Amino acid sequence: MIDFELTRVGTPDAAVQIAAATPTAQQGATVRFIAGGTNLIDYMKLDVETPQHLVDINRIPDLAKVEKQPDGSLKIGALVRNSDLAQAPEVLAEYPVLSQALLSGASAQLRNKATTSGNLLQRTRCPYFRDLAYAECNKRTPGSGCAAIGGYHRNHAILGVSDQCIATHASDMDVALMVLDAVIHVQGIKGNRTIPIGEFYKLPGTTPHIENALEPGDLITHVTLPALPETKQIYLKLRDRASYEFALASAAIVMQVQGGRLRHVRVAMGGVGTRPWRMPEAEHALEGQAPGEGVFRAAADAALKTARPHTDNAFKIPLAKLCMIRALTTVTNA
Amino acid sequence: MAAKESIVGSPALRYEGEAKVLGYAKYIDDLHFPQMIHGATVRSKFPRGRITAIRYGEGIPWDEFTIVTWKDIPGENTIVHLLKDHPCLVQEIVNHPEEPIVLLAHPDKALLRKAVDAVTIEYEPLPAVFTIEESEAPDAPVIWNSEAGDSPNVFKTYLMEKGHVEDVWATADYIIEGEYSTGAQEQFYIENNGVIAEYSEQGVTVWGSMQCPYYLHHALQLAFGLPEQKCRVIQVETGGAFGGKEDYPSVIGCHAALLAMKSGRPVKMVYDRMEDMAATTKRHPSRTRHRTAVSKDGKLLGGEIEFAIDGGAYVTLSPVVLSRGTIHAAGPYNWPHLRIRAKAVATNCPPHGAFRGFGAPQSIFGLERHMDLIAKTVGITPEELRRRNFLQPGGTTATGQLIKDPIDLNGMLTRALEESGYHAKRAEFAKTNPTSPIKRGIGFATFMHGAGFTGSGERRLNSLVAIEVDDEGKPEILVSSTEFGQGTNTILCQVAAQTLHISYKDVRIAQPDTDRVPNSGPTVASRTAMIVGKLVEDASHNLLTCMRASGLLEETYTPEQFCHAALAYKQQHGELRATARYQAPDDIFWDDDKYHGDAYPAYAWAVYVAEVAVDTRTYMAEVKNFWALQEVGKVLNPVLAKGQVEGGVAQGIGYAIYEKCVWKDGVMANNQMTNYIMPTSADLPPIHVLFEEVPSIHGPFGAKGIGELPMDGPAPAILNAIEEATGVRFNHCPLLPEDIFDKLANPTLISADSSQLQPAVAGPVFSGTTP
Repeated sequence: MIDFELTRVGTPDAAVQIAAATPTAQQGATVRFIAGGTNLIDYMKLDVETPQHLVDINRIPDLAKVEKQPDGSLKIGALVRNSDLAQAPEVLAEYPVLSQALLSGASAQLRNKATTSGNLLQRTRCPYFRDLAYAECNKRTPGSGCAAIGGYHRNHAILGVSDQCIATHASDMDVALMVLDAVIHVQGIKGNRTIPIGEFYKLPGTTPHIENALEPGDLITHVTLPALPETKQIYLKLRDRASYEFALASAAIVMQVQGGRLRHVRVAMGGVGTRPWRMPEAEHALEGQAPGEGVFRAAADAALKTARPHTDNAFKIPLAKLCMIRALTTVTNA
Repeated sequence: MAAKESIVGSPALRYEGEAKVLGYAKYIDDLHFPQMIHGATVRSKFPRGRITAIRYGEGIPWDEFTIVTWKDIPGENTIVHLLKDHPCLVQEIVNHPEEPIVLLAHPDKALLRKAVDAVTIEYEPLPAVFTIEESEAPDAPVIWNSEAGDSPNVFKTYLMEKGHVEDVWATADYIIEGEYSTGAQEQFYIENNGVIAEYSEQGVTVWGSMQCPYYLHHALQLAFGLPEQKCRVIQVETGGAFGGKEDYPSVIGCHAALLAMKSGRPVKMVYDRMEDMAATTKRHPSRTRHRTAVSKDGKLLGGEIEFAIDGGAYVTLSPVVLSRGTIHAAGPYNWPHLRIRAKAVATNCPPHGAFRGFGAPQSIFGLERHMDLIAKTVGITPEELRRRNFLQPGGTTATGQLIKDPIDLNGMLTRALEESGYHAKRAEFAKTNPTSPIKRGIGFATFMHGAGFTGSGERRLNSLVAIEVDDEGKPEILVSSTEFGQGTNTILCQVAAQTLHISYKDVRIAQPDTDRVPNSGPTVASRTAMIVGKLVEDASHNLLTCMRASGLLEETYTPEQFCHAALAYKQQHGELRATARYQAPDDIFWDDDKYHGDAYPAYAWAVYVAEVAVDTRTYMAEVKNFWALQEVGKVLNPVLAKGQVEGGVAQGIGYAIYEKCVWKDGVMANNQMTNYIMPTSADLPPIHVLFEEVPSIHGPFGAKGIGELPMDGPAPAILNAIEEATGVRFNHCPLLPEDIFDKLANPTLISADSSQLQPAVAGPVFSGTTP
């Protein structure tokens, strides 16, 4: 780990002012915000992240609250810990998919530290990204190549991949936020703005080191979840072991069944994409249909049509389909 | 008097438990010496080749670094185990990826890492082989050849024969063939390999995390050309080992000592997890081929077994791993005729080494899977097949060893099947499986594990144990046997306390330091409780004899009287010390050439039952329940013994269905905890540990070995259960969901029908709850 400067700030303004000095908000940024630190410190120890300056935002007041807004939406502060969010009464009552997703991730100790904004910025677990012994990683060192494509990539992405990067997005929480149409609220040097989660994550393309829409100085202050009509929800996570493991495939689903027809269907998957993967093809195939095995299968087939596996991860296509079918089946019967 | 309550057999608290729990136990990375610097290793990134140049790149202040190559080795460039083929540092030819070539030391760890990356090894590639099949192919490149080996690319072969197997084929009702294979497995101790070395005119000293101080002691003598009194090895608190710290500390220990010699400063080398997983030893991959003659009523008439293991690039411990695997390949069965051909082959993978079970889990996996195939073929139950072929007292093992202990394998099988509800479950699953997407099954394995070194090994070890009374009148045990979580300290203190008729807490055990403790042999091979424990008992008796002979101790005494007598003796004689040296039992004979005779003084026997569920929608197998019944002689400490079994079963479950080493041209490709899937406690079923205790004359108070046994049975029991559940034969472990998918994938099984999905609590993979 390199030496770094640490500043504790008490206001979002102070945080943004310091961070604006850095030329980039992405990998290589010289200033980074630190909240729970469960991801950043990990990568600093491995020298994958080498910020010269950490800005500790934990003491900014009011960022650790979960509040119901007058318009019915839910406002979740950037510093709300994953375990607190998972147990928040409003989340349990109205957004259970989020609670389930959070509780399926990491361990209790990590969830007690990890925050909402940190989870939104969680970086990939690609072993070649994590291990400096591999010189090739376009995400870590743009233009250096991709060691994963010719290496061991059993748990790498099959959706949204490029010739430059196949790293899987690791978060569970963000998959749930995709189906809840979360809105990310950002304070930057030019003021405040909002980014719908669907526009937040960037595909790797030819710039795998650019992972999201944040600009230098941007601080995520909170996330809002729009009010939902009454829906059925599920987060189903398939993984290699029961705890402490990332998804091989996971499905987040929000839907209604009205008069025997599926309505308001939202489907997203984790563990399979280079970003949390919303599946409009599946939603389209399901919307207005009567639930049943054939419909579910058609939706899964449509959603995975563009999947591009490599040698070790071809099994993820059938697994992802099974995951989605099973989640749809379970949630319709709930 | 303390002796009234039995200390042996009681759950005495762990000797070092308090220090570990309260955090004041010092592991190697907790130690800091004045002036200490850090060491690191430059390794090959290719499997085989001739080094043409070593380049030290720009941007590194190389003059600040201590740089060691093979030229700096004062003695022989070898890490000695059985042969001297394994260099300490590569001189010219690289034989496997991650092979150490250059050592660097510097005070700044971050700079050290950059320096390692800045060294480039230029080389001419040479052809390489990576599997048993590639190594034995007729046109394979010769990658290893030595007069000491049996043929090119073959480190060692054994031929074990009983009767005349040629005669049985003509008359057999069935001839059943099968091939079984097992993958490598990482030991995954919590603490990685690490040492600190110091060098001065007085000699070389190494502190480290290890199992066998005297192995490293010997390795240092050769590498440094020093007499034994100038080499010193001290074991510090060790965070797990499982065999992974049997031979490897000799490598890292010599490396750190070379850097210490050249730099003139203490040098610490501690591997990180990725380096430890990629570069250090793992369990040998194996292949077992069976050809078995069976009568129509299910009697084993004779068999041929071909057992092969992949030793990696150097001999290291492969011949002894092969030996144990060979002897255990016959299982606890009566074979009138048997021929076992075994070989350890060379590949260009990092050398494979010791791991709990030491060859036996590999060959037992093959045999116990094959037994279920035989049962199916003959048309009897797996249970009945075993019952008709179990070894009995008075029978002889495959090596011709007469069974003298009153073992009752039929009784054990009955008990294990009753405890697990085996028959009822089999019937239930047969009913429910056809309509359920979750296929359930129950299977078992019966097996044994020899305690102590094979054959004449213990004679050669010639172990010595001492007990010395300290200035407070308390006896201290002096052994080189090490504690690494399994309970050595505790059980040896229990044995001494019971024998000396004093309190458990009044017995001490010395830190293993080759300047202080005699060589009681390595801490391996399930030998510590039985062999070293017996020597501690003998030495305790010798101490009492000595005290009584002096007239200071009566025939009966209190612990206080013992203490007073001991101090009085010390005052008169200067010291009070007794020893005991291993003496081979008179009735144990072994012929190393014919591989015949008494392979082990005693065996532990076991029946393990596994209940599994295979989800045909995710293809994931899960162990739902587990029963482990074993006869291990007297249980010295029930809590530790149970812990050994639970840990071994957990490791066995990992071996069976989770832990896969992925190799790409000899490089471990998944050398991270994220990618190498070790089961967590959440993946483990309830493990019911059951003991039977038939005292053995060879161990203290009747104890036998227990450490390795629980690693042998889980994998075949689990795969037998998976076959019961799915009807599909899988003959390789680890068995991952992808492997099950390949054989099971069938649209009719992938049903999303809601009625079938209702009981969808498919265990570990199913983390969601219905909203």
